[in-house]
Amino acid sequence: MDELKFRRQAYENPYNQDADFLQQIKAKPENQALVNELKHLDAKLCSALKISVPEDLADKLILRQQLQQHHKQRRRTGFLMAMAASIAFAVGISFSLLRLGPIDLAEHALAHVNHESVALHLDQNVDFKQVNARLASLKNFGNAKFIQQPGKVYFSSYCDFQGVKSLHLVLQGEQGKVTLFIVPLEKRMVLDQTFADSQYQGIGFETADAFILIVGEDKSDLNYVKDEISNIFI
Amino acid sequence: MFTNWRKKSAEPAVSSDMLSKQRRYNSLVKALHADIFRYAYWLSGDKHVAEDITQETFLRAWKALDSLKDDKAAKAWLITILRRENARRFERKQFDYSDVEQDTLEDNISNSSEDQTDQYLIRRQISRLDIEYREPLLLQLIGGFSGDEIAELMELNRNTVMTRLFRARNQLKVLLEKSEVRGQSNG
Repeated sequence: MDELKFRRQAYENPYNQDADFLQQIKAKPENQALVNELKHLDAKLCSALKISVPEDLADKLILRQQLQQHHKQRRRTGFLMAMAASIAFAVGISFSLLRLGPIDLAEHALAHVNHESVALHLDQNVDFKQVNARLASLKNFGNAKFIQQPGKVYFSSYCDFQGVKSLHLVLQGEQGKVTLFIVPLEKRMVLDQTFADSQYQGIGFETADAFILIVGEDKSDLNYVKDEISNIFI
Repeated sequence: MFTNWRKKSAEPAVSSDMLSKQRRYNSLVKALHADIFRYAYWLSGDKHVAEDITQETFLRAWKALDSLKDDKAAKAWLITILRRENARRFERKQFDYSDVEQDTLEDNISNSSEDQTDQYLIRRQISRLDIEYREPLLLQLIGGFSGDEIAELMELNRNTVMTRLFRARNQLKVLLEKSEVRGQSNG
């Protein structure tokens, strides 16, 4: 190793541990002196570089990170809340829009009978005055009521026709039980004269105050009940 | 309602994950904040700027902590972030901080007044060193990095780094000897 290369290496890093370099230090006293001098310089530089660090810096760094983390978490919860709110909003809007569409009463009546088959097995033996009381509480409904008992009434309850509160009755027909729906008049409703599915048949008609739907298994029962209703439901 | 349900099911795993990440971050801060701060100071020449850069560096480190696989590489990793932050500072606004503070370098370490003047002179000379010579020297002396590591950090080849280290020490040595001589002749 020549002199120049040695000097360069000493200046590059006086703590160089290469065998060549260490040997060169041993070889000449002036090399040793140069390296010592440079090590001394390094020591001075190192202590000069060690400027004082603000005492609370470490705490500040941790605090800042934790605040940031906290904000992020809050932002995320806020975001989720906003998402939940907008989903709820969208669902609400679409439901109310759906309700504005035309309602097929016939289809709904059949679905209702099929779904609530338990109504056909109950025997509450309802008095027509009770039925009238229920009729009176329907909204947008005139003064129509039963003027006498329409045969035996097995079951009576409110039900919902796409948001319209209606009355659901089960009456005794000539042959079997017949389901009767009384739905307050509303413009967007569509009513077929006759309808049917695989099990039930139904007829529908309109009185001055309400849509009447009659659903049963036997066609003759339907007409029997229709006649009866026409006479006593005024 | 929805968020509560979500939290309940996800919380245990998440919080233990967060806890170990937090611990890792805390020890990173404790072990390396002094070196990082000093490096930032000698890069910028201003204590407040150095503190800002250190804050930004550690905040970025926290966000990217999962990408640090090997804790031994943490220092080099932080220095890389710091250098990027420092460069960003110059993109934002072109202030030459090193001019501002050079003459008012603070000193809270040395005890005797003789040490103090000595150290003051050295600090002045270090901060007057060209940044391209100063930075490899800082990486060597504060960071304790080898020539190869410095080359990688600064994206230079090793020979360039070694040359700069040589020139840095050479300049400092000459400058300090000169000022000593001047000091002696003045006194």
